Amino acid sequence: MSLRLLALAACLAAFPAAAVEPGGAMPSISMPRLEKPAERFALASLKGKVVYVDFWASWCVPCRISMPALDALQKKHEQAGFAVVGINKDATTGDAERFLKRVPVGFTLVADASDEAARAFDVKTMPSGYLVDRKGVVRHVHRGFTKETAAALDAEVGKLLAEKP
Amino acid sequence: MRAWVAVALLACAGCAPVAPYQRAYLARPDMALDASPGMMRAMERTFSAKEAANGGSSVGGGGCGCN
Repeated sequence: MSLRLLALAACLAAFPAAAVEPGGAMPSISMPRLEKPAERFALASLKGKVVYVDFWASWCVPCRISMPALDALQKKHEQAGFAVVGINKDATTGDAERFLKRVPVGFTLVADASDEAARAFDVKTMPSGYLVDRKGVVRHVHRGFTKETAAALDAEVGKLLAEKP
Repeated sequence: MRAWVAVALLACAGCAPVAPYQRAYLARPDMALDASPGMMRAMERTFSAKEAANGGSSVGGGGCGCN
């Protein structure tokens, strides 16, 4: 009997937290900033804005398309209340810095060395992006990134910004 | 006793699942199967010529037998 319980416990332990899908709430977590690790950045501080939370890394090939696209998107919509948060998943900060020298971006960048954020969102693919409305509800999830994703995202952000808070 | 054996077996498992966001470790150059792709190709070329084993490791071209 105890053996069966043990096997069950082992199986349950193998399953991570449920993935964040459209309709779910944005996990309320805080992470150190990539450039200033002493300073923490809380996702909750962006409540009231339309937010795109993006998991990226220097080793992630589609991120070479997504990072400049997201930078342009934030520049286009930031006056209307849109913000992008890039959560870095590199093994070392040096790798991220090297990537950012080639692809500089202006949005908020945070580190997630402890995998806390990746586990909270249960990231299935790199890159993964979560578009959150002004109330903190996840409305669209983008797994992977192509030029079509960038166009779709632009339209989605425009729609969410037009919604009244 | 059986439970302890099960615990020991679970603890001994050498494989760990790698989450998609942990692949930075797999992307390291020293994790590549062939550390130097150019050298690997040259070695394969020599090997296939010496052993008359063209296509033994991987097939180049579309099957025309001309390379």
